[in-house]
Amino acid sequence: MPDPTPTQPPRPQAVAQPLSSPSSSGAPGTSVISKALKITGQLESSENIQIDGEIDGDVKGVHVKIGQSAKVKGTVSGEEVEIAGTVDGKIEARKVVLASTAHMSGDVIHQDIRIESGAYVDGHVRPENAKPKPAVASAFKPAVLEKTGTGAG
Amino acid sequence: MFALKARTASRAETALPVSRLGAGLSVRGNLETEGELHIFGRVIGRIDAGILFVAPCGLVEGDVVAREVRVAGRLMGRIFALTVDVGDGANVQGRIFHHTVTVSRHARFEGRMPWRPPSFFENLDQLPETQP
Repeated sequence: MPDPTPTQPPRPQAVAQPLSSPSSSGAPGTSVISKALKITGQLESSENIQIDGEIDGDVKGVHVKIGQSAKVKGTVSGEEVEIAGTVDGKIEARKVVLASTAHMSGDVIHQDIRIESGAYVDGHVRPENAKPKPAVASAFKPAVLEKTGTGAG
Repeated sequence: MFALKARTASRAETALPVSRLGAGLSVRGNLETEGELHIFGRVIGRIDAGILFVAPCGLVEGDVVAREVRVAGRLMGRIFALTVDVGDGANVQGRIFHHTVTVSRHARFEGRMPWRPPSFFENLDQLPETQP
């Protein structure tokens, strides 16, 4: 005789859900400023930053990537700064990459730079290791004054 | 104020990408988004967001205006939100202006929790002057 009890479908179990899914946005450690976010103020990070939104202020990170939709007004500094969006201010980084869509208004201080064809750059682009001349002149000046001083006495 | 639009447009933020402020990031200033904002780092200033999530390692000092706020970290200041969830391990000091609030058993809260009707959150052009 066959078993009269019908096979029941598995009952849905209550599963605890986390408050949110933080892993859904970007690699762990990297900060993502999405295109919907606007920040007025200073940002400083010991990690990487990906910016697609708008920032009115200075940004400091390790690897700072400024996306095509991003607009930054201020100084962007880091080990490596990659720009595909708009920056109105200054860039200070060991390695700078200006993509073809980059729009840079201001000075770029770098050790290593790559500018792709089509990038807009309006400002001074200079390597960081270049020694400024006035420092040498001021170092020489006091010695001359001292010599004339002893000669008179 | 644009954050008011964010609160009324309930589905707008679901289409927008999530912003994530990592554990190593410190921000001093104001943040505005119609979408979702996850804070793992430190923010000192005002936040206007659709949905705000403060992670266990996150710290916020300042006023928060949002449609929904979930705190699992530390928040010192005032929250103005329709829905507030103070989760396990959270440490909140200040005032929670809310319509619906949940406080977890293992959360720490110090301050006041004034209830407000939904219309209150639609008229927050000027935040009320209160002591946190």
